[in-house]
Amino acid sequence: MCTGPPLAAWSGDGMGDPRMTQVTALVLRAVAAGHAFGFDVMERCGLPSGTVYPALRRLERAGWLAAAWEDADTAHAEGRPRRRTYALTERGRRGMPEAEAKIAEVERVLRDAPGPDAREA
Amino acid sequence: MRRLWLLSVCLLVPRDERVEWVEEWEGELAASGWRWVDAFGALPDAWHLRRDGWTMGRMTQDVRHAIKGLWRKPFFTALAGLTLAIGIGANTAIYSVVDSVLLDPLPYPESDRLYTVNHTAPGLGVPILPYSEGMYLMYADALASLDGLAVFQMDNVNLVLGSEPERLSSARVTQRFFDVLGVPPTLGRTFVAGEDREGAEPLAVLGYGLWRQTFGGDPSVVGRTVEMDGVMRRVIGVMPEGFQFPQDAEMWTQLEVDPADADQGSFSYMGIGRLTAGATPEALNQEMDQLLLRFADVNGDDLPRTVLEQGQIRGDAKPLKEMYVEDIRQALWVVLGTVGFVLLIACANVANLFLVRAEARQREQAVRTAMGATRGDMIRHYLTESVTLGLGAGVIGLGLASLGVRGLLAMAPVALPRAAEVGIDGSVLAYTAVISILSGLLFGLFPVFGYANRDLSGALKEGGRSSTTGRGRSRVQSGLVVAQVALALMLLVGSGLMARSFAAIRSVDPGFEEEGRLTFRISLPSAEYPEVEDASAFYRAFRDRLEAEPGVTRAALASSMPLTGSRAQSSFRPDDQPLPEGELGPLVNLHWAGPGYFEAMGIEIVEGRGLGEDDAAGGLRSVVVSERMARQLWPGEGSVLGRRIVGMGDTDESWEIVGVVRDVHFESLSEEPGLMAYFPLVSGDSDAAFAQRALSVVVHGRGDPLALVDGARQALREVDGRLPMVDPRPLARVVSEASAATSFTVVLLGIAASIALLLGAVGIYGVISYVVGRRTQEIGVRMALGAPAGLVLRNVIGQGMALAGTGVVVGLVGAWGASRVLASLLYGVSATDPTTYAVTAGALAFVALVASWLPARRAAGLDPVRALKAE
Repeated sequence: MCTGPPLAAWSGDGMGDPRMTQVTALVLRAVAAGHAFGFDVMERCGLPSGTVYPALRRLERAGWLAAAWEDADTAHAEGRPRRRTYALTERGRRGMPEAEAKIAEVERVLRDAPGPDAREA
Repeated sequence: MRRLWLLSVCLLVPRDERVEWVEEWEGELAASGWRWVDAFGALPDAWHLRRDGWTMGRMTQDVRHAIKGLWRKPFFTALAGLTLAIGIGANTAIYSVVDSVLLDPLPYPESDRLYTVNHTAPGLGVPILPYSEGMYLMYADALASLDGLAVFQMDNVNLVLGSEPERLSSARVTQRFFDVLGVPPTLGRTFVAGEDREGAEPLAVLGYGLWRQTFGGDPSVVGRTVEMDGVMRRVIGVMPEGFQFPQDAEMWTQLEVDPADADQGSFSYMGIGRLTAGATPEALNQEMDQLLLRFADVNGDDLPRTVLEQGQIRGDAKPLKEMYVEDIRQALWVVLGTVGFVLLIACANVANLFLVRAEARQREQAVRTAMGATRGDMIRHYLTESVTLGLGAGVIGLGLASLGVRGLLAMAPVALPRAAEVGIDGSVLAYTAVISILSGLLFGLFPVFGYANRDLSGALKEGGRSSTTGRGRSRVQSGLVVAQVALALMLLVGSGLMARSFAAIRSVDPGFEEEGRLTFRISLPSAEYPEVEDASAFYRAFRDRLEAEPGVTRAALASSMPLTGSRAQSSFRPDDQPLPEGELGPLVNLHWAGPGYFEAMGIEIVEGRGLGEDDAAGGLRSVVVSERMARQLWPGEGSVLGRRIVGMGDTDESWEIVGVVRDVHFESLSEEPGLMAYFPLVSGDSDAAFAQRALSVVVHGRGDPLALVDGARQALREVDGRLPMVDPRPLARVVSEASAATSFTVVLLGIAASIALLLGAVGIYGVISYVVGRRTQEIGVRMALGAPAGLVLRNVIGQGMALAGTGVVVGLVGAWGASRVLASLLYGVSATDPTTYAVTAGALAFVALVASWLPARRAAGLDPVRALKAE
């Protein structure tokens, strides 16, 4: 399973750009690919909810993502409360190259890793 | 349940975001089909949001407020803090013992791989069957699961350096002993291959303490030759500080084994081994089982295959740590559980104090709320205050604990293992911190649930006095008191049962007279007493000299004293009743006694005579047996005098019974006396006679036995000035030390139960006083309307007793449920003994009565006019 860094990696830095970690990058890429709901992002990244949600909050606070509520009728028809939707903002779109670079870097490190043990570590 | 989870977690989320937060999570979880693994993610999410809104700065501010608030109420703070400190201190003290004795790994490298490697023979009633020399040789290199096997035997040596000889506890060990433990010497070297073979140069390795004290820490001692037991031994090394194994050994000598002439049949060497990496004790046991079969095939005379099967003899590897802590483990866990209860009771008391205080502060809270403080702020405020108090109490508790540990060790039974390692270290500090915070949260939660959740605008209008809220709070308080009484009763029942066990053990008749008798040990080095005649002459001369000492009435020598843990056993049968092939006769405890032993010990001779001077002469083969042995070997027959018994293997050597004596508790007071056979100190035919050289002496005199020590020492000096007198003590002390572990547990449980009783009484008193205070006006009205003082008194006492009664019932049920835990520590009393339950419940009820009577008397003495005026 792919696990992200510990929660402490997102240190609070107000409205500035979020620290680009592997998790932030993966979440951003998932939202950019059109996965609007938190749990969809979760599925897409293969990360647990406790990792994805703080990343979503951080990106939202930094202004890279904008949140809205899904249509109340849809939720009502399915007999459940509304879900929040997340979408990339202009600022987030500008950050995408940084995110892709991060993902590429991680993939390269994994590919060059000496053996299966190191890959798991 | 699912919704409850989200609603609880949402308390962490800043208030203005909560509603949307819950909706989002509920929406997602509902859409994805509710899985707990996803729902748990809500916690880190909420925590993340919380941290955004809650900075360290605010936390520091909260703590500062809390300290200020506590400081302003010094009496309240001192009372609550001290109550908690006692509970935390007791827990820390006991935990530090548990941690060092039971939890910490042994001080050897990779100590989890160290095992005692012996056999067990449940079919013979022998829990540990050690090695014979031959067995050790067969095993030594054959066990693939072991990185090394070593065997050892405890020994004592007389060290002669100056004029006064010194007796040392030592161990004879095989060559790989120190390798197996993984401890190198601090000076010199330890034994190498070949040095544990017959004919090797006599060597010695010194313990650190011995080296410092007796040799002044002089490094040049390595290479020197010293005289021990008449043998010149060369010192080759010194072990590092703190190394002590086995038991209290201060010095190690070689255990020489002669492969050409190894003894196959005396199983007297304990084994330890280091498992190879990845090996399991089960695999080791299987290997040993195979070797046992081979051993039995090769040495059929010493260990017939049928005996192997009948005795269910098999390999038994146990973690080395078990050997240290087996006897004390359960008692320590019970005591730790007990002090845990004390802490819970203390928390209940403090929770009550906090509830009272919270009510008094309703107005203050209402003002805060009006000024915009959120419910979350209030909760945080309460919890910060209680956790701050908990931590403060933890610091005081730590101080109390360090004093308590010292006291605990001072009164610990002689054999508390690893006592030197007990102290307050990192893990104890962590434990204290955790229980301090947890107690803070525990008692802090009561006012939180009682108050912070309510709309307090009413309180503002009413000036903080609301009768309806008071009722709810009373219920919480009453619940706490019931819990306190129940816990206190459980502890009282536990300590009552232990006290009765102790009394039962102490009232056991050991089978000998303990008063007016002194005992000590001596050992005759075989280098100085090479022949049986030499030893025999010493026995006679020393006993005669002792009996000539003024104040001494009788003196005798024996192989050991009862209840001192020494044990020799063998199987015997009547010589005219052969057993079927391979079957064993009953196991008999063997004892060797000189002339006058039974008289000196006060052991009643039921029939025949004791062992005399003549029995030691060659070839007589006299034996004295215990009543139980006579009854078991010849059931339903009259006199057994003149009958003969034979041991295992040597069928042509029989022993004639010349006397029968009363049963003696030889092993322990709490076990039934075993079968006993007493042989003369010198036994066997004149050409193969055998003399006991490790001896215990008993001296019966008039008056205080300790007054006999000087005379006895003088007598010994006159007979042989080179023999040290070891461990002189009254026989009565030997008996009391045999019940030391029980008395230790009794004292600890007694202390815990007393604290619990006191805290419980304070709890009842506090609640009833509070209720009386609240009802002052109502009582005033009743009295003004003509209610007599007696009725008021009964009414208030009744209220207290109703609480206590409920607590007692709950406590009795709890004690009954927990009785299984204590059962194995008890002796002579059932874990559900009705008398103990009734007496302790009665005692607690009486204390509750007094605790309610005090405030009741105050209520009955109220002046109605003033009571009515009271706001």
